[in-house]
Amino acid sequence: MNRKVSRNQFKTRWLPILLFVGPVMLYYIGFMIYPFLATFYYSFNTIAPIKGELTVTFVGLKNYIDLLGDPIFIQSVKNTLIWSIVGPVMEILTALTLAFLIYFKVPLHRFYRTAWFTPLLVSGVIVGLVFRWIFNYEWGLLNVSLRAVGLDDWALNWLGRRDTPLMVVIFVHYWATFGYSMVLLLAGLSAVPEELLDAARVDGANRFQVILKIMIPILWPTMITVLVLSFIGKMRAFHIVWALTGGGPLHFTETVATYVQKRAFGWNTLDLGYPSAMSVLWFGVVMIGVGLINRWLKRQVEY
Amino acid sequence: MNPSIRLTSRDTSFIHRFQGILGKGGLTIILMAFTLIVLVPFIWMVIMSFRNTGDILNNPFGFPQTLEFENYRKLLFDPEIGFGRYFYNSIVVSGGALLVTLILSTMGGYGFGRSRYDFKFRGWVFGLLLFALMLPPQIFFIPQFTMMSRLGLLNSYWSLILIYAATALPVSTYLMSTYFSQLPSELEDASQIDGCTHWQTFWLVMLPLARPAILTVTLMNFMNFWNELLLAITLVTDPKMRTIQAALMMFVGENGSNYAIAAASLVLSMLPTLILYLIMSDKFIEGLTAGAVKG
Repeated sequence: MNRKVSRNQFKTRWLPILLFVGPVMLYYIGFMIYPFLATFYYSFNTIAPIKGELTVTFVGLKNYIDLLGDPIFIQSVKNTLIWSIVGPVMEILTALTLAFLIYFKVPLHRFYRTAWFTPLLVSGVIVGLVFRWIFNYEWGLLNVSLRAVGLDDWALNWLGRRDTPLMVVIFVHYWATFGYSMVLLLAGLSAVPEELLDAARVDGANRFQVILKIMIPILWPTMITVLVLSFIGKMRAFHIVWALTGGGPLHFTETVATYVQKRAFGWNTLDLGYPSAMSVLWFGVVMIGVGLINRWLKRQVEY
Repeated sequence: MNPSIRLTSRDTSFIHRFQGILGKGGLTIILMAFTLIVLVPFIWMVIMSFRNTGDILNNPFGFPQTLEFENYRKLLFDPEIGFGRYFYNSIVVSGGALLVTLILSTMGGYGFGRSRYDFKFRGWVFGLLLFALMLPPQIFFIPQFTMMSRLGLLNSYWSLILIYAATALPVSTYLMSTYFSQLPSELEDASQIDGCTHWQTFWLVMLPLARPAILTVTLMNFMNFWNELLLAITLVTDPKMRTIQAALMMFVGENGSNYAIAAASLVLSMLPTLILYLIMSDKFIEGLTAGAVKG
C-alpha cells in the first residue's frame, strides 16, 4: 500500500469519524477523565492556598490514614451504608408491587402512574425544604396531625433527636425516588410477551405462579438495574440531605457526599487533598458495592 | 422505538382477584391513601404559598382565608429580593449547558451510532465515554473546581455551563447513538450519491430525523441542570450569580421565619419542570428511564 492510498483512506475514512466523535471525546476527557484522574493525584497531597496560590505538597498516604481515624468520616460511612442497604430494599419491594398493579391495570392506573412519578421532577432542594417543614416539631404537618388524633406522645422532634433524623432522611429520599424504580420496572414488564402468559394460563398455571415463574425471571435483569441504580443513588445523594438536615444534628445524618463537600469547600479547613482521598475511597466502595450486587444477583438467576 | 411504558397487560382478572381478597374498593382505598402521602407535600406547599406566615403557624392545616397573592407579588416585583435574577441565572446556565450538550452529543451519537463510521477501537472509546455514567459526582468535582479556578471562570455562568454539559455527555451521547443506529441507511446512501458531504448528510438529512431523541435528551438534561445543587454551590459563591436552587437554600435560611414567602419561592422554582411534565409526561418518563433500561 503506497502512501497516497493511505492518505486518501485517512481523508475518506478517518476524517469523518474524527469530525463526529472527536469533539465529544476531547471535551469529555478534558472535563471528566482528567478531573477523575486528578482526584486520585490530589488524594496523595495536601492542596492548600499559600499566599493566594494553591500549593501542592506530597504527603503520601497520610490523608488515607487520617481518614480512618476521623470520627465524623466513620459516622458518615456508617450512615451512608445503612441507608444504601435499607433504601434499595424498601424501594424495590414497593416499586415491584406498584408496577405489577399498574401492569395489570388497576382502576385509575394512569392517574397513579403520573402521580407517583411526580416527586421525581422536584429538585432535591424543594423536597428537603418541604419535608423540613413537614417534620417541624411545633407546626409541621406530621406532628399537628398526630396531635389532632390524640397521639401527642408520638409527636417527636423528628429532626432534632439522635435516633430519628436518619430514618427521616431515608424515608424522604424513598418518597422522592420510588417512582423512578417503579417506572423502570414497568418498562421491563412491557418486554414480557403476552403469548407466554396466555400459554402458561392455558397450561393451568394460576396468577401467582405466572408472576413467580415467568414474569420475575424475565424481569430479573431490570430488577438488578433498579437495585444498582438505587444503591448508587443513595451513595451519591447530596441535595435532599443538604436541604433537609444539612448533615445534622451533630452529624447524625452526615453522609459521605455531604462531608466531602463540607471538608472541601464548606469549612475553612483549606485542604483539597483530604476530601479527595475521601472521594477516592468512596469511589472504591461504590464499585465494590455495584460488583457485589451484580455478582450475587446474577448467580441467583441460574437455577 | 422505545420500550413503550404505556403497555399494560390485556389481562385484568388478576386485579379482580386482588380486589376480591381486599373487599370491594379496599385496594382503591389503600392506593388512594398511598397516593395522598405522595401528593400531600405538594398540595401543602401550594396552599402555604397563598397564606401568610401568621396563619400558617396558627393552623398549619388550614386553607387560605383569602387568597394571598402578596407572596408572589413580592417575589416577582420586589427588587430587594431579586428572585427574577436567580431565575434568569438558572435559565442562562441550563440553556447554555443544554446547547453545548446537544451539539456535542448529536454529533458524537451520530459518529458512534452509524455502522459506516465503525472503527477498530470504537468499543473501547465508547466504553470510556460510558465509564462516567454511574460514577458519583464527588469523584470529579474537586479538580473541576480547581480547573475553573485556574481558568478564572469561578462565579461565572461559564463554569456551570461547561461542567454541566460535561456531566451530561455520557448518557446523552448514548441515547443519541442508540437512536441514530436504528435509522435506516437508505437516506444516508441517497444523500451521499447526491453529493452531500458527511457533514451535510448529518446536518440536513439525519439530524432532522432524530427529533424525538433530541426532545428526550433536552427534557432529561434540562430537568437535571435546573435542579442541580452540588456544583451550583461549589463553583458559584457570589450571591448575585447563584442559580435558583442555591438561591432557595439561601433564601429559606435568611427568611427562616417567613414560611409563606419561602413556600411561594419553591412553587415558582418548580414551575418550569412541572409545566413541561404536564404537557408531555410520557416523553418525560421515557427520557428519565430510557438510559437506564437499555444500559
